[in-house]
Amino acid sequence: MTSEQKRTLALYYCQNVPASGERERQDLEEKYGRGIRLFTVPCSGRLEPIHLLLALEEFADVVFIITCPEGVCRYSEGNKRAKKRVEKTRAIIASIGLEVERIGMIIGSKENPISLADHARAAMERTLKLPPSPVHN
Amino acid sequence: MITGEQKPIDEIREMIAPYKRILVLGCASCVAECAAGGEKETAMLASTLRMAAKMKGEDVLIEEKTLDRQCVRDFVILLDDIIEKYDAVLSLGCGAGVQAVAEMFTEVPIIPAINTEFLGETRDQGYWVESCLGCGDCMLHHFGGICPVARCSKQLLNGPCGGSMDGRCEINPDVKCAWHLIVDRLTKFGALDRLENIYPPKDWSRKQGGGPRKIVREDQQK
Amino acid sequence: MNNSSKLKRVLEGGGFAVTAECGPPRGANSDVVLKKAEMLRNNVDAVNVTDNQTAIVRMSSIAACSLLKTAGLDPVLQMVVRDRNRIALQSDILGASALGIRNVLCLSGDHHIFGNQPQAMGVFDLDSIQFVQVVRTMRDEGKILGGDDLSQPPDLFIGAAANPFADPFDFRVIRLAKKIRAGADFIQTQCIYNLDRFERWMGMAGDRGLTDKAYILGGVTPLKSPGMAKYMKNKVSGMDIPDEIIKRMEGVPKYKQREEGINICVETIRRLREVPGIKGVHIMAIEWEEVVGEIVERAGLLPRPVFD
Repeated sequence: MTSEQKRTLALYYCQNVPASGERERQDLEEKYGRGIRLFTVPCSGRLEPIHLLLALEEFADVVFIITCPEGVCRYSEGNKRAKKRVEKTRAIIASIGLEVERIGMIIGSKENPISLADHARAAMERTLKLPPSPVHN
Repeated sequence: MITGEQKPIDEIREMIAPYKRILVLGCASCVAECAAGGEKETAMLASTLRMAAKMKGEDVLIEEKTLDRQCVRDFVILLDDIIEKYDAVLSLGCGAGVQAVAEMFTEVPIIPAINTEFLGETRDQGYWVESCLGCGDCMLHHFGGICPVARCSKQLLNGPCGGSMDGRCEINPDVKCAWHLIVDRLTKFGALDRLENIYPPKDWSRKQGGGPRKIVREDQQK
Repeated sequence: MNNSSKLKRVLEGGGFAVTAECGPPRGANSDVVLKKAEMLRNNVDAVNVTDNQTAIVRMSSIAACSLLKTAGLDPVLQMVVRDRNRIALQSDILGASALGIRNVLCLSGDHHIFGNQPQAMGVFDLDSIQFVQVVRTMRDEGKILGGDDLSQPPDLFIGAAANPFADPFDFRVIRLAKKIRAGADFIQTQCIYNLDRFERWMGMAGDRGLTDKAYILGGVTPLKSPGMAKYMKNKVSGMDIPDEIIKRMEGVPKYKQREEGINICVETIRRLREVPGIKGVHIMAIEWEEVVGEIVERAGLLPRPVFD
């Protein structure tokens, strides 16, 4: 799919997202090629706005963060913090006229655990709905 | 600590508009503690400005560096090797930091990226409050460790005024009445009778009597 | 014409004093002040002139006082420390006395954030208690702050405000004591609607002997509507309006609400006259000066004493 290759998704995910081991990661990289860059984090609460900004500045059209389900964060508040950081970063990119949709966040559900591959598909679908980033064009 | 907040990005973009090679300069001291101008915030601002420039097709160089203390010449001098590369410095230091750099590098325009706010304390994560005016004549021992000059909206030395209700200041219910806190605290110490004294007018010459203040300490000099 | 304070003569003569309030106009028109003067003439002993109240720019209090004085009334110059440093305050005190103004009420002032100049630099160089002390020292010792002598001391009857309804309650009397010790000859209080609380406060003041050391005038404000009562209760800091008062205002048809407000005011004054230690009443009829005469008459306080 040519349209996929025109976009790059930076996907940050919590290491507790189901089916997110090394093999599943390799499968995804094979499937999407240069359209995806995967970053596993020990806890989404460790992500800082600077990580998201640098991804958007340097290569990504869209950034997504996949957290563990609310209430089950092993560091108790990590995903809540991630949400605040995402809001802050969205405000920054909005201030220079970049669409806030370029930073996505998916909070995992405790009841319906979703695999990394399914999350990646959903994030990629939303990525393709946006035009290529004006930062890189 | 000295606190500050970043100016709006549009205002910063307007100030740097005439320049092509910009050094975004952070400070790892006070403004890092209040998350306004430390290494992290400096990187964020530089990245944001680079993105904005790319989106507008502007051909500019924006790089970043953070000094341990922007208000101390021993650290500012570290810019000596690199400053020639830039035609402007965008500083995330407090007003003192900005001026220290300006004083040392007179050829390069220095632009403030933050608004310096107050001398304050970190009350909680992400929560800073003003607690000192730097009046030059500390009176905290009289008032239970709570400064009426910095924290009472009317700077009363013989408060509280008639406007506080339920321990809240009349100017804003989010603001605690400093005098209510003072009365509560002195009551706890059994020292409320201290407030029967009439505190005389404050000597403001200690703050503004001789223009900008300086401290000279020979024992600290080389 | 005797050039001393009429308010002082009434109080020192043991009379029950009546003062009212006159807000200067938001313009340079002296006729507004003179019209208000006519409404108040012979109904009150002295007229307070507010100093940019609620931090809204108005004609200066000194100028309006001077107009009243020329019209034959006894003005009470209200001065706030919000807008002037100690140099300007002391200078204006001398100027006021030179103009024949004989009463001053020393106040902190409403914070400028509430007014139409919220960007202003608040001065607050002195606080109201220090200001009272400064004026007293100027008058009694002929000295300004720092000790320099005056060529002629000002002749002023010195007043201060007290709010029995602000918090912390127990501290309110301590603060009253400080104001009186600083040199206040008379005290005008915040508007009284909660008489029970006011009487408790007066009791505490009496226990400390304060009612013998200064003349305390109880403040009253006639309500125009239940809306005004609610606004004052909720939006004006340091104001205590019991729910019974609001219910009473709501309990009458709209066309009778102003009359009911006047009724409450008259009843309050009658009850205040019975409170031990109260030496007078201060009627703050906000932009409603025409009603003062009726209130004073119905409260049984006419005619006012005349001095030659």
